[in-house]
Amino acid sequence: MKTYLLASLTLLLACCYVGIVGITFAADSDAGEMEMLIFPESYKPTSGSNGGTISGVVKFEGDKPEMKMLEITKDVEVCGATEKYDEALVVGENNALKNTIVYLIDITEGKDFDKAAKLEMDQKGCKFTPHVQIVPLDTRLTMLNSDRVNHNVHIFSTINTPVNKQQTKNRRRMPLAGVKKAEGPVSVKCDIHGWMSAWIAYVPHPYFAVTNEKGEFTLEDVPAGTYKLGYWHEACGTNNESPVEVTVEAGGTVTQDFTLKLK
Amino acid sequence: MRIRTIALLLTVFGMLVVFNSAYAQNAPEASEKGKEVYENSCAHCHGVEGRGDGSAAENLLPKPRDFTRGLYKIRSTEAGQLPTDQDLFDIITEGMPGSSMPGWETALTANDRWEVVAYIKTFYDGFKENENPPKQITLEGKIPYSEQSVEIGKELYVELGCVECHGNVGRGDGTSAPTLTDSWGFQTWPANLTQGWNYRGGFDTEDIFKRFIGGIAGSPMPAFEGDSFLNFGLTAEESKRLIELENKDEMTEAEEEESGQFYEKMDTAVDIALSIKEGAEMSTTQMQTYNDAMKVVYEKSWHLANYVKSLMPEERPEPAIGNNVLRSQYVQGELPAFDDAAWETFEARYFPLVGQVVIEPRQFNPTIDGVHVKSFYNDTEVVFLFVWDDRTHTTGDETDETTQKPLEDALAVQFPVKVPQGPTAPKPYFLWGGRLPVYLWHWKASTPDQVTELTAKGINNAETQEAQGELQVQSAYTDGQYKLWVKRTLKTDDKKDLQLEPGVFVPIAFSVWDGSNADVDTKLTMTSWYTFTLEPVPSSRRFVYPPIIAILSVGLLFGLRAFVQRRNTEDV
Repeated sequence: MKTYLLASLTLLLACCYVGIVGITFAADSDAGEMEMLIFPESYKPTSGSNGGTISGVVKFEGDKPEMKMLEITKDVEVCGATEKYDEALVVGENNALKNTIVYLIDITEGKDFDKAAKLEMDQKGCKFTPHVQIVPLDTRLTMLNSDRVNHNVHIFSTINTPVNKQQTKNRRRMPLAGVKKAEGPVSVKCDIHGWMSAWIAYVPHPYFAVTNEKGEFTLEDVPAGTYKLGYWHEACGTNNESPVEVTVEAGGTVTQDFTLKLK
Repeated sequence: MRIRTIALLLTVFGMLVVFNSAYAQNAPEASEKGKEVYENSCAHCHGVEGRGDGSAAENLLPKPRDFTRGLYKIRSTEAGQLPTDQDLFDIITEGMPGSSMPGWETALTANDRWEVVAYIKTFYDGFKENENPPKQITLEGKIPYSEQSVEIGKELYVELGCVECHGNVGRGDGTSAPTLTDSWGFQTWPANLTQGWNYRGGFDTEDIFKRFIGGIAGSPMPAFEGDSFLNFGLTAEESKRLIELENKDEMTEAEEEESGQFYEKMDTAVDIALSIKEGAEMSTTQMQTYNDAMKVVYEKSWHLANYVKSLMPEERPEPAIGNNVLRSQYVQGELPAFDDAAWETFEARYFPLVGQVVIEPRQFNPTIDGVHVKSFYNDTEVVFLFVWDDRTHTTGDETDETTQKPLEDALAVQFPVKVPQGPTAPKPYFLWGGRLPVYLWHWKASTPDQVTELTAKGINNAETQEAQGELQVQSAYTDGQYKLWVKRTLKTDDKKDLQLEPGVFVPIAFSVWDGSNADVDTKLTMTSWYTFTLEPVPSSRRFVYPPIIAILSVGLLFGLRAFVQRRNTEDV
C-alpha cells in the first residue's frame, strides 16, 4: 500500500510541479513544416514529342562545407566497412550541389512516365542509394537489401499511408505498393540503423530531375510553353515563394542555373 | 437467494453489454460536450488543438499523443489503418501503462468518454475522409499457448530481427535501442518484453498479436503485416528449406533450381498482396494463393506472440511489503558466491521504483521499473544480490550537459545509521535522510567491483565515509540486466555504519540511476522505506530444553509416585 501511496504522492507532486512551472512546450520539430514540392491539380499524359529541354547546374553558395561523418553504432563489420557521411549536404567540385530536385511546378500536359525504368533504392553498407528518389504514382519502388543485416524501411508519409516494414537480412528485394497521391519529399529512415536517411517524392508527372555529383539536371521533352521551375533541397529548402519562369521552345534548349544557400 | 442475485447481476451485466455495444463502433457527432470534457481533462497534456503540446507535455516521455496526424499506437486494425472508435474508447478507459496516460474509467462517465472519442477524431481529417470502417485484424485461428509454439516463436524472434531493438531475451536492450526516435523526433525506448505490466496496450497474447501484425504507428515498431514477412508465400516447411539452402556456402544445380522456384512462388504471392493493397481486383485462384500465404503469416505470428507471452511473469511482482518483507536467509558456513546456484532456490523480493520529483533536478520519466533483491547471512556476514533491468550499459563515457558530471548507471542501498526502536519510532527522511542520518552503499557502473560507503543527512548532503569498510563486491551486466553482489560483516567498528543483528526489522530503501536516461545527482529513480530483516534462526536449544524438561517432569512424577507409595506403605 505504501508504494501506491508514494506513487500517487509522486504523481501529485509531479502534477503540481508541472502546473507551477507551466513552461510553454517547445518540441524539437520547431524548425517548422518541411517544405514540400508543388504539384499540379491534375496531369494528363499526352505526347511528349517535339518538346524542348531545360537543363542547368545547381551550385552551393559559400565555402564548401566539410562533410559530417556519421557515427556507426552497430553492425560495424557491414556498416562501417567504409566511412559514411551525412548526405543532407553534398557539395562537389566547383560547389556543385548534389541531390537537388529540379522540376516543373505548373505543367498539366506532356509526356508519360518511362514505364520501363527500374525503380530501386538500395540499402548497401547501411546507406540508402540513391539519397533522393523520384517515384511516379501507382508505381512500385523495390527496396533492395545488399547487406547481410536486418533493415527496416520506414517511410514517413503524411498524405499517403506511412510505411514501416522489416526487410530481413535474407530478403534481397522488397517491392513496395504504389501510392495514389502526390506527396513529398517524404523522409525514409531505417530505425535499426538510426543514421540511415533518404527521401522519396511521389510525383504525378515525369518532369522531375535530381542533380548529380556535378550539380547537373536535365528535363527533356518539355512541351513548348512557359513554366515555373522549382527546386527542393534537403538543407537549402525550396523556391516555392518565388519560382523561376522559363520559356521552352519546341526543339530548343534553355539553360537555367541555380545557386542555393543554407536555409 | 443466491441464484436470484446472480440472475439479477447477469441481467444488469447483459443490459450494460447491450448499452455499450450500442456505442460500439459509432462515437456520436462531435459536440460541445465533447469539447468541454476534452478541454477539462485532456488538453493539459494533449493541447487544446490536439497537437500533443499541452502545458504538461514538456516533462513527459513518452510524449502525449499528437492527434493531428492520425497515428495511433494501440489499434485492433491492420497496418496503416486508423483505429476503431472502440480502440480509442478502450485506451481512454484503461489508460496506457508505463506512460503518463491514466485510465479514465472512474473519472469520466462512459458517455463522456464516448464524447471525447468523437471530439478527438475532429483533429484529423482522415477520419472524415475514410468512409469505410477500418479493417480489423482477424483473431481467428489463434494457436494456443504451448511449449512447442513458444519454441517456434523463439526462432522467429531472431529470424524477423526483433532482437535488434528488443534484445536477446527481450529486455528492450537491443543494439538499436539507444538511437530510436518516434515520428516526431522524440527519443523512444523499445518495450522491455519481460515487463508485461508496462505494455501500453495490454499483455494478453491477442494484444501482442495485434501490435505485431498492425505495427505501432508513430513508433519505430514495424508492422509484420504479410508481404514483408519472412518468405511470404511459402509454407512453413518450404520456408525452412529455403533458409537451409541460403545458408549453404555453395548450391548444387538442383538446389539452385529449387531455391529459384521458391523465389518465383514468393514473387507471385508478394505481387498479389501488393495488387490487393493497390486496390486491384483479384481472381479466385489469386485470392486463394493470398489467403494461403496469409494463413502461414498468421500462424507464425501466433507462435511469436506466444513466445513473447512466455517472457513475462503472469503479473507484476508484488512489492516487498506486509508479509513480503526482505528476509535474509540464514546459512551455516560460507555465504553463496556471485554465481552460486543457491540464489536460484527462492524468489526475490521486489521493490518498485518511482521518479524522484521532490528536489531539483527531478526525474519525471523513470526508465527503471524496480529492483529484485535476495539475501543470505551467517554468523558473521550478510550478502545481498540486487538485480535490475536497464536497457543500456552506461559507464560514464558521456557527461551531463548541465552538471558536467559523467552519466553512468548506479545503485545506492540506503539504511538508517541507527535502527529505530519500535514501530512508532521515527525513521530518517526517506530521501537520503535529514535530521536523522542514513548509511548508504553506493555502487557505480564505472567501478563495477567497488561499493562506497556514504553517510547522508539529505540528498544533497552526502559524505563519503572516511573509514571505508571492507565490503566485497561483484557485478555483471548481461542482456539488459544488472546483477550486483555485496557482502559485509554484520558488525563493524565504524560508528557511522549500520550494525546488524538477527530478528531486528531494519528500514531499507533504494536509489537507481540510468545514465542513458540522463539520471545524475538527484535526478534518479527511488523507493521509499521498506523493511529488511535477518530472519532469526529458530534456536538450536529447542532440541535441548524440551527433552530435559520432559525427562525432569517424568522423573518428578516417578519420584512423587515413589514418595506417595512409600508413605502409604509406612501408614500401613
